[in-house]
Amino acid sequence: MQVYDSSARQIPVISQVKSIYDNRGLLRLLVVRDLTVRYKRSVIGVWWSLLNPLFTTAVMFYVFNTVFKSKLPDGAPFLPYLLSGVLLITLFNQGLTMGADAIATGAGVLTKVYVRPEIFAASASISSSINFIIGLAPLTVVLAIYRKTPTWHFPMVLLVILCMTLFTTGLSLLLSIAYINFDDSRSLINIFLTALQYMTPIFYPITVLGPHTKEVIQLNPLYSYLQIFRKEFGRVGVSTFSNWEMMVISSIIAFVGGFYIFSKRWPKLVAKL
Amino acid sequence: MSRELIVEASEVTLAYRRTRHRVSSLKQTAIDTIKKRMAFEEFFALNGVTFDVARGETLSIIGRNGAGKSTLLKVVARVLPPTNGRIIVRGHVAPMIELGAGFNPELTAAENIVMYGTLLGRSPKEMRGRIEAIADWAGLTEHLDVPIRAYSSGMTARLAFATATDVTPDLLLIDEVLSVGDADFREKSAARTVEMMNSGCAVVLVSHDLDTVKEISTRVVYLSGGIAKQSGDPTDVVEAYLADVHH
Repeated sequence: MQVYDSSARQIPVISQVKSIYDNRGLLRLLVVRDLTVRYKRSVIGVWWSLLNPLFTTAVMFYVFNTVFKSKLPDGAPFLPYLLSGVLLITLFNQGLTMGADAIATGAGVLTKVYVRPEIFAASASISSSINFIIGLAPLTVVLAIYRKTPTWHFPMVLLVILCMTLFTTGLSLLLSIAYINFDDSRSLINIFLTALQYMTPIFYPITVLGPHTKEVIQLNPLYSYLQIFRKEFGRVGVSTFSNWEMMVISSIIAFVGGFYIFSKRWPKLVAKL
Repeated sequence: MSRELIVEASEVTLAYRRTRHRVSSLKQTAIDTIKKRMAFEEFFALNGVTFDVARGETLSIIGRNGAGKSTLLKVVARVLPPTNGRIIVRGHVAPMIELGAGFNPELTAAENIVMYGTLLGRSPKEMRGRIEAIADWAGLTEHLDVPIRAYSSGMTARLAFATATDVTPDLLLIDEVLSVGDADFREKSAARTVEMMNSGCAVVLVSHDLDTVKEISTRVVYLSGGIAKQSGDPTDVVEAYLADVHH
């Protein structure tokens, strides 16, 4: 028989991860629900969620092609370089904001039924990852146009996706705290996200930047995720060991830190929902 | 026979620190902080509430609006953790609080049954096996594959009630006596609620209907300003509450 004791000591992070694992049936349902609602029930289905990144890529390609096409490392073609960047930043934005939104709106149930809110952050990150994997299909086509095939390093790509899932799950928990506490935090966060996008070399090669700017950009964890993804999926970029360090460490810090802070704040937050 | 305690609440307190102006914008907070105007006050939604409920008993919570009745129910439902004191709840809980809160209008009735049941703590596998029975009881078998945005509010409520009451819990939480759907279904759902209450589970009920409270409760807690002003025998407590109201 399950027993709820409000005084029972809970070890932060570990107990939260365990409760997600214990509720993996619900987690799977939530992911399936996200994907069903997005794909099955709309007329153009899968294409709908790809429309945004593909359109953004098309516009950016049209505008920046002549400027950057000869400046990429190892003569990589601009279009797959660009599309890789747009897909990865979409993965980040979607996982982050969907998760935070779900918790901040109480997912409709958090104030009525006992469900650990972290499950909603995790399910948003996971369904964004699945969208991202679907987005790899057009990227493969684009690579083929330039006579490039995806590398044998696909497991490495899965590692990028795993790190990104941990990264966005942790950050979306922190973001939900801001959303619940301050009504006007959304617009501020959007400014910050836009700034972060420009600080990530999505459409420009980092080599065109000044030495000081370059150093600043390299502090952005998304830069490392992107470098590794470009290198490992389509060989349209270069990555170093320090990129790997940055990616793994940032994902662990965001995940553990996000879960820990959230567990301390949640009892006060739920009363505000 | 000894009482098998399902709920044990001792000195349950829920205190919030809130700003005097109830600011909730970052801009205002920044300005107030700079001007050192952040004045906090402690607000007690619940203050030292103690009670227990055993199997087969029905505890009713009465009081004016804003006295903390629904808050107390949410503490028992595990949604709000107490800031002080302790609460222990044993067994499966069926919270009949805003039924259908987990429904998604884009999903079909069958998908919603599985989702809602899982949110209430059952396994998806178990729920998939119950779809037919639940839909049958709600009288919605023919509309199982329809997204529930096409449902009327009465149909949605029937589906929610049928799903929530599909299993007899150890503890039943009821916020206001339910009135679901048309007259026929109201009768049917009332009968099922009574059946569940008589089946040996513990019940915690929030209600304004004092006659019903007197009739069905084993004990009553009268909340006022987050404090359990009186608790005990239903008739006595209801009288005390009425005396206060008429003052």
